[in-house]
Amino acid sequence: MPARNHAQWTAKPPLANDEWIDSRIYSDQEIFEQENERIFKKVWVPVCHESELSKPYDFRTMSIANEPIIVCRGPDNQVRAFLNVCPHRGMLIERRPSGSFLEGQPSGNPKRITCMFHAWQFDMKGNCVYVAREKEGYQDRLCKEEVGLRRLRCEVKFGGFVWVTLDDNPAVSLEDWAGKAFTCLQKSLDAEPLEVFHYHKAIINTNYKLWHDTNSEFYHDFMHYHNRVTGFNDAYFARKNEAFEHGHVVVGTFEVNYQNYEGFESRAALSFPHLPPNQWYMIDMFPGYNFNLRGSALRCDIVTPLGPDKVMIEFRGLGLKRDTPEERQTRINHHNSIWGPFGRNLHEDLIGVAGQGTTMRPGTESRRILHGRQENQTIHDENGMRHYYDEWGRWMNIMPNNPDQTWSERSTASAAVAAAE
Amino acid sequence: MSWTRICKTADVAPNSVKKIWIAGGIPVLVVNYGSGFRVVPPVCPHMEEPLEESGIVASCVLTCTKHLWAWNLMTLEKQGETEKPLKCYEVKEENGELMAFVDGELLYDFDKDDDMDDDAFFKS
Repeated sequence: MPARNHAQWTAKPPLANDEWIDSRIYSDQEIFEQENERIFKKVWVPVCHESELSKPYDFRTMSIANEPIIVCRGPDNQVRAFLNVCPHRGMLIERRPSGSFLEGQPSGNPKRITCMFHAWQFDMKGNCVYVAREKEGYQDRLCKEEVGLRRLRCEVKFGGFVWVTLDDNPAVSLEDWAGKAFTCLQKSLDAEPLEVFHYHKAIINTNYKLWHDTNSEFYHDFMHYHNRVTGFNDAYFARKNEAFEHGHVVVGTFEVNYQNYEGFESRAALSFPHLPPNQWYMIDMFPGYNFNLRGSALRCDIVTPLGPDKVMIEFRGLGLKRDTPEERQTRINHHNSIWGPFGRNLHEDLIGVAGQGTTMRPGTESRRILHGRQENQTIHDENGMRHYYDEWGRWMNIMPNNPDQTWSERSTASAAVAAAE
Repeated sequence: MSWTRICKTADVAPNSVKKIWIAGGIPVLVVNYGSGFRVVPPVCPHMEEPLEESGIVASCVLTCTKHLWAWNLMTLEKQGETEKPLKCYEVKEENGELMAFVDGELLYDFDKDDDMDDDAFFKS
């Protein structure tokens, strides 16, 4: 194949219009801001796991679409979410990433969420319980009953993850939005309480969708050299990407043959409840969450887009809460050997998306990104990504391969193949 | 339900407070206001502040220094902006021992019971 000149390089590829993407959707500031408005302020987001707030008055802070969020566990054991913004002067109320309100702080009262700025206080249900010099300043014009926190919809579901949405009236319930995609793992994740044993985050100069793409196809096994040369069998490649409504994709199970993995041991003894020994399921959720159960350890990635070319990815590893210290250490070893920061996959995946991020920085010319592999929906097929960008186009009302056009259902690749025949 | 020994009266200096765990695992605050003693729950009824840290006793008045709720210790009258009464165990002194009549732990009602059905909350 000869090299191409500029006109050839920028020409439309000879593929159906769901089989390629215009890279502007990975680099354009305006599209990024629309994604926050149209997608991230509307969807359910798994912001953390309930084991990270295990005791009453524990809290964690995070953000969704730039909006600061605080999640806390009340004395009634209920987990609730609020906007982490003081109703008085808009101060960020809680500045720590996590902690407990049980004990007092120099400028915070025990069992209260206290804004350090003017000492307004809120309880674990978001009620305002104290306004400093309330009567003197507001007389009878404003009282604390009128200045509670903004409470957000929050559910603990699907293995104990804490799901929050900024939309008080979401188009679909969490159950309807995610339930079908989670069916394959529900028995394993809900059999007994889980616990986070690993957390790290990476801030990568790339677009969040490119990370989700990497989680959505296994064709990049060519990058995972050690994976590729050891351990794989025909069943590995025969797995299929199964599409679910709302843009989610599930990669079906197969039995991992750890005997062939150099330096690895079987996960059978510590497999999650109801999971056949050494099996592996993965759920890719729109718009950027990944749940990956590989025998003895569950991995969860959550993206927080920070800009068109910047994403924070939080990685969590989970085991069973009842693990003995020995079992837990084994799970940690299993998790880290594949998925830890120095494991055998993760840094390679990050090299991949960082490289894409480099070539698609804001200001670079728009490129054609190909999603056209057709391999009977097996894991080297790019049908999962095509399914994802259909959903993205609907939410955004933008054609992924031409951001200047409004969304219309894309001609599918299978139709194009049929027409060619 | 009985008279319970709390401490020696000499254990708590005049115009001071001391937190003590008594039989049954109940925490109490002993308040010596000079001319007598009070035995009260160890938290301020306002914001659950620990009174062993925030409470001061002067001129027969217990003041929580966090938000200045205060009570006259002789009459138990609320002072200034104080909105809730101070709960007290009945006390007596016997042979240098301070005794209190304890029929279960005295607790304040801090959490408003206003939990609404989530869905209704977000639709209202």
